[in-house]
Amino acid sequence: MQAGKAIGGGKASVAVLGRAAALVLNPLRAVWWLFTNVRFGTVLLALLALISLVGVAIPQLPVNVRGDSVAEAQWLVPKEGTYGFLTDPMAAVGLFDVFHTFWFAMLLATTVASTGAYIVSRLPGIWTSITRPRKRVPDRYFEMAPSRYATAEALDPGRLETALKRQRYRVERYTEGEVNYLFADRFAWAQLGTLLTHAAVIVFILSAVVSRMDAFESGLFLAEGSTLPVFPVWNTEQIQVELIDAVGEFSLDGQALDYRSEMVIYKNGEEVKRCSSTVNSPCSYEGYRFFQAAYFGFGAAVQVRDTATGNVLYRETLALVDRAPSPRVLIQDADGRTLVDEKLVLTDDLDTGDVVYRGTLIELPDERLLTVGLEDIGGERRLAIFEVGERLDSAALVLREGESAESGGLKVIYVKASMTPAARVADLPLPPDADPSLAAPYLQISNVVYGTNRASEGTATDVSVKDRPPKLTITGLAPQAIALEPGESAEVGGYEYSFLGQREFSGINVKRDRSNYLVWAGAGLIVVGLMITFWVPRRRLWARISSGGSALAGQAPGHARYAEGMQRLAVRAGSETREETQDDD
Amino acid sequence: MADSIDASRGDGPGKAQETPRPGRGFLRRIVYPLAVIAVIAGVIWYLERGDDGSVSPSGERYGPVDMPAELRLPDVKVAPEEGAMAPDFLLEDIDRGELRLSDLRGKPLIINFWATWCAPCRKEMPQFVEAYNKYKGEGLEIVAVNLQEGKSIASKFADDYGMDFTVAVDRDGEVGDQYHLLGLPTTYFVGRDGVIQSVFTGPFEAEERGTSVQGAIGASELEQRIEEILASAEAP
Repeated sequence: MQAGKAIGGGKASVAVLGRAAALVLNPLRAVWWLFTNVRFGTVLLALLALISLVGVAIPQLPVNVRGDSVAEAQWLVPKEGTYGFLTDPMAAVGLFDVFHTFWFAMLLATTVASTGAYIVSRLPGIWTSITRPRKRVPDRYFEMAPSRYATAEALDPGRLETALKRQRYRVERYTEGEVNYLFADRFAWAQLGTLLTHAAVIVFILSAVVSRMDAFESGLFLAEGSTLPVFPVWNTEQIQVELIDAVGEFSLDGQALDYRSEMVIYKNGEEVKRCSSTVNSPCSYEGYRFFQAAYFGFGAAVQVRDTATGNVLYRETLALVDRAPSPRVLIQDADGRTLVDEKLVLTDDLDTGDVVYRGTLIELPDERLLTVGLEDIGGERRLAIFEVGERLDSAALVLREGESAESGGLKVIYVKASMTPAARVADLPLPPDADPSLAAPYLQISNVVYGTNRASEGTATDVSVKDRPPKLTITGLAPQAIALEPGESAEVGGYEYSFLGQREFSGINVKRDRSNYLVWAGAGLIVVGLMITFWVPRRRLWARISSGGSALAGQAPGHARYAEGMQRLAVRAGSETREETQDDD
Repeated sequence: MADSIDASRGDGPGKAQETPRPGRGFLRRIVYPLAVIAVIAGVIWYLERGDDGSVSPSGERYGPVDMPAELRLPDVKVAPEEGAMAPDFLLEDIDRGELRLSDLRGKPLIINFWATWCAPCRKEMPQFVEAYNKYKGEGLEIVAVNLQEGKSIASKFADDYGMDFTVAVDRDGEVGDQYHLLGLPTTYFVGRDGVIQSVFTGPFEAEERGTSVQGAIGASELEQRIEEILASAEAP
């Protein structure tokens, strides 16, 4: 016996060696064997998962840096603080740009090839199993099947067949002598479910490749009424986006609720689509999706015209991205009547002799003149009010935020320190006779807040600006600042400066990623494959019924708890006792 | 035994021996596929056919055109670069129907590619307006080629900015492509002989901030280049 085993083991070793030698001698066959090996595929998928984790954990080169060796080197410098001497080796092997390395691409390709080979190698067998299943099994299989049932009773083959057909089995019966055999098969095609799941892996990887090769993304920041192209100018399939209305919706406490852009899309000068875009519901055209990506509410459309010719010299929508201090001040007379209640735009450098501070001149209804400004005292901005003139009871106050005081028959309340959108505009044309050494014009827009029905849709939250139109104040064009409401103009030295209106801006992200379709297809394959596998698993049952006893053997996925079902079938086929039920799962 | 099982299967020899009806295979294999292909081809033709807007009143398609042989200079290539002849094109003129570049041969010429969405283009345009008013008496012609915008958009801009020179619309960008544009604005200075004297990429800007736009033009880069093409000789 021992000798027999030894001889048998020697034959097996020779066989293995022979197979290994054949693989070595035939590289193609070796590759095929490797690619169809389940363990190899599992290792590849595990590697992909691990490397993807590395790509998430380690900072990756930004898009605008990749490909620029100088920029890449600069980007890597601060990384040395984290990774030390490992930084250079990590960069050399591509750990800072994992998903764009050659070896990662090769790993993806190998995984696709392996999964594809697996599917191809298994498909013929599965197909044969589905279309021409094995209907007769050796008798000993009834004793070793994964799920089996045996009884000394002779089941009724007809009742068993009826019971199986009720459960949607396809049943075939035949006899050999006095023994009845039966083969039943249910959801045979469900065996393809596992291939669908494997195919999904290929589709997902292909989607990543398509995304990398074909994806397009571009950002546009445009003002209401303006247009920007999506592609570089040399593209003859140019698409342009015109922003008709940028909408910001805000809650009463100023929290952003939603941003929306009403836009028109042009192609080759023709309007091709008019649509609305939000963060979650983009506008789509020809596979490109236009997402609302940002909102900015403080823009001013400004025009400069040469009054001699009538020609426009300058017409821009300016984003006022700076913030200028703008105190909200309430001034009342002795009778409690409100004389001033507004956020003041500070336009001048006022010199009191002791200090110079940023302020403005206010004329009260009774023609009294006040200079109001902000003094910087020890880092704190205090409101300073001085009356111009020789009155003995001239108003003179310095207030902290929230303080009030009386002086010169006036009650002054420094309600709140606030800011006004502002910008210095270097390219705004100056009047022909302007002093070129002056600083560039400074623009401030007041009476605008997020959430007014003028700036955008919503409810005004700031009482001081409610029911007042936006006001653009320009300093630097003339000795005195000019203040314009929408539609108003002022002529300075032969140029007409107009405030066309307050405008909002939208950031629009344009994306096209046709791999999305593949991702959906892959997700669909996985869902369908898993549903098939778990909900409608294939079940095969073989029965051998004779007067000496009956045996059932079944094959089903491990989760199917098939033996219990087989016992119920046996009961329906006439069994009265449970002799032996086995589920090896 | 196996035979008895196989014989019970539904897809037996009965179906295999069915005799096809005459002509049905021809329909299915030849006529139906051809019909599908014809429908697809028809849809593609319908979608791709040139619309009225891309064809001039004379029936010629707008875009790059071949330069008439009699206007070509021997040994001078046609290309959008210095020293070469400016490539010819036919475009829609927003005021005068159509414009053929070669019709302007003999005049010093500026070809400026622009768009209303291009901020540098907007800022430099007053300089071209001023330059044209200053030099049109000496024969200067300016062709402002709007890139891929609608005629109405270009017309309104031209009216507002006082662009009294030729404004043409390159709706599908083929002329821009012909001139190998890398960005806007781009300006070609063409001599009376049709040869490009210089190319300027980017905006002409006033030299000094604080100087009026009109005032800056006198000593500008733009004026120097205009003087060069004004001094150019006509082709022999």
